[in-house]
Amino acid sequence: MPTSQRLRITVDLNKCVGSTICVQLSPSVFALNDQRQSSVVDPTNDTAANILEAAEGCPLGAIVVQDAETGQVLFGARDAAV
Amino acid sequence: MPLVTDDLMAPDVMTDPHSYYRQMRELDPVFFNERWGGWMLTGYDDVVQVLRDPDGFSSDRMRFLARELSEADRQRFAPIFDVLSQWIVFRDPPDHTRLRIVLNKAFTPKAVERYRPRVRAIVGDLLGEIEGKGRMDVVRDFAYLVPLTVILGLMGAPDLDRDLIKQWSEQLGVFFFLRADEPRRREIACEGVTSLVEYLTPIVEEKRAHPADDLLTALVAAQERGELSEQEVIATCVLLVFGGHETTMNLIANGTLALARHPEEWERLKQQPALIESAVEELLRYDGPVKATVRWVKHDVTVGGKTLRDGDRALVVLSAANRDPQQFTDPDRLELTRSPNPHVAFAHGIHVCLGASLARMEAQEAFLGLTQRLPVPVVATDELEYHPAVVSRALKALPVEF
Repeated sequence: MPTSQRLRITVDLNKCVGSTICVQLSPSVFALNDQRQSSVVDPTNDTAANILEAAEGCPLGAIVVQDAETGQVLFGARDAAV
Repeated sequence: MPLVTDDLMAPDVMTDPHSYYRQMRELDPVFFNERWGGWMLTGYDDVVQVLRDPDGFSSDRMRFLARELSEADRQRFAPIFDVLSQWIVFRDPPDHTRLRIVLNKAFTPKAVERYRPRVRAIVGDLLGEIEGKGRMDVVRDFAYLVPLTVILGLMGAPDLDRDLIKQWSEQLGVFFFLRADEPRRREIACEGVTSLVEYLTPIVEEKRAHPADDLLTALVAAQERGELSEQEVIATCVLLVFGGHETTMNLIANGTLALARHPEEWERLKQQPALIESAVEELLRYDGPVKATVRWVKHDVTVGGKTLRDGDRALVVLSAANRDPQQFTDPDRLELTRSPNPHVAFAHGIHVCLGASLARMEAQEAFLGLTQRLPVPVVATDELEYHPAVVSRALKALPVEF
């Protein structure tokens, strides 16, 4: 079920080690790129709760989730947010 | 004679693995070590490629070991097969994925942050006893007590005997960390594993009867939901007490040694505690607790221009990757503000250390406590000894005066 809230999801590639936790928890939003690091394929294609759980599950804290409208950080390190 | 020794257990290699890995990387970063019977990967890009490729490389050590042993030996070493074959570290998808999703929740950065005050208190209590003494063995008096006390607390078993657990964990470590020159390593590990299982099983049963808000109860609950088998629960308990302290102990000891040898960096951290996060990352990179990890090739794969064949094994040398000059500027220099610092001390890929966030936080609190409370320590011996092992970087003792 797609999220009604527009989210901006950022993966810090300096931190991502390809644990694939996010891909397991929210496979319609996250996928591995050629480097086997996480990339966001579709930020709308899951519930906000699942996306936040995936972000929180990252062992490296590499994922930041923001409200796309307001820029408010919903999960993740502020310093990594864009 | 090869230009560089192929004896992974040579005394010089134990004392100074970094010089050895540098020579090896310069000689051939994808080197077949006949004596060990496998590939040695010492370049950063190759190491990362292998660690991120669970389709090409298996972690199922017990399955590959079983192939090498006779039926009689498989029976003889049944305790390590029964327990270690259930460990998440030695499993491939899909079982690995199932276990990881269950265990991951307790070890996310956000989850472990809740434990920080407890860790700070444990560190403070220990240093309170140490600071007036003027000397300590960092390994015995501090480095092992912090993580072992923390993990037993998280598991909900704070009263277990830490010295017994350490003794049995060391026995298990003889096998786990590849003490290749110990012919009885599997027998010794069987003794350690059997003791740990006997010691921990009643604790698990106790949690089943009296659930609490702790890690053991969470494991039992996962079993009751059908997410873990009974064998996986007890094996994971053994893994938690073992993995929960051995490596973090070595991170704290190795890091303390590195800082003691760079007094200006100790002072810098004392003056600027805000550097602690990048400082711990750099200590992980500079002399991390795990030198290497092993993978088995599942199908022919090209690494660094060479073909690794189905069934080959590969020693993936994390400590070598962490000092690859193609990735890190001035890699042999300790630089607490290094950024970015994409080290592989916790490995990469699906097997990235489950306890990485906890270890980071414990190390942050340990080094903050040490630098705030103690003056720069002086190493009080001319000859530091390491436990001989291919995988771990473990000081036997680190006597210091301050």
